[in-house]
Amino acid sequence: MDIVFLVITLLFAVASLEFKNSISAIISFALMMLTLGVYYLYLNEQLLGLFQIFVYTGGVAVLILLGMAIIGTDSKPSPNRLWAAFGAFAIFVLLVTFFYLHVKDIVYLANTHKPSNLLFSRYYSDFTIILALIGSSLLYATVKMIKVLKPKRRKDV
Amino acid sequence: MFEIDMMFAFALFSLGLYGVSSRKDFLRIFFSLEILINSVILMLALSAHFLGLAQNIPLAYLIMVLATLEAATGTLIFVGANKFTKATNPDQLDRESYDE
Repeated sequence: MDIVFLVITLLFAVASLEFKNSISAIISFALMMLTLGVYYLYLNEQLLGLFQIFVYTGGVAVLILLGMAIIGTDSKPSPNRLWAAFGAFAIFVLLVTFFYLHVKDIVYLANTHKPSNLLFSRYYSDFTIILALIGSSLLYATVKMIKVLKPKRRKDV
Repeated sequence: MFEIDMMFAFALFSLGLYGVSSRKDFLRIFFSLEILINSVILMLALSAHFLGLAQNIPLAYLIMVLATLEAATGTLIFVGANKFTKATNPDQLDRESYDE
């Protein structure tokens, strides 16, 4: 069952990159995120699965649709870059080789050295403050960027 | 089972890398970035489930929140850039030609 979910996820991921039509690509992307969320639910990680479904399938997909509605759906076809495909495949092979060489060590370390869970429970408020700071700085940067672009436009008009 | 599932996560990661390096329009690059981030979240969830590393789940939430912020900011930047330069891919974002 695991493999079925992951194969469907991978197929939707490929479809979201390969579809020429942008709306079909966005729908494939949303379905990929939905399948991943259902897979997390299947793994008994209910909160993570629901978070994935609500945030990605709901929020991010709608956000991208909104962006596409403003930008427009036409886009130039990308060239097939062989070096990119070869590089990605090489990295996949490297990752799999490294993982299979060290999987026994990883399982052994996971069973013997249980890291403390206190990091996120004790410093929860600190993490929340850091996240809020990062979020607000990103939003500030975005607004600033739009303000930087705006005067140039007015000068031209 | 853990090994096979992790292979799929690696495949997703490689697919994201391929998309980032080969696609030219905003939308596909954005999708590729999200696929990259989600492959990492998948690895964390798999290690939490199969190896009992429960502390990986809060880390996955953290990454997910940051990815959501990145999605919101990225969309805003794309829309903002498109509004002023009419560009649909990053190669068209040439401020010099725009200023003329």
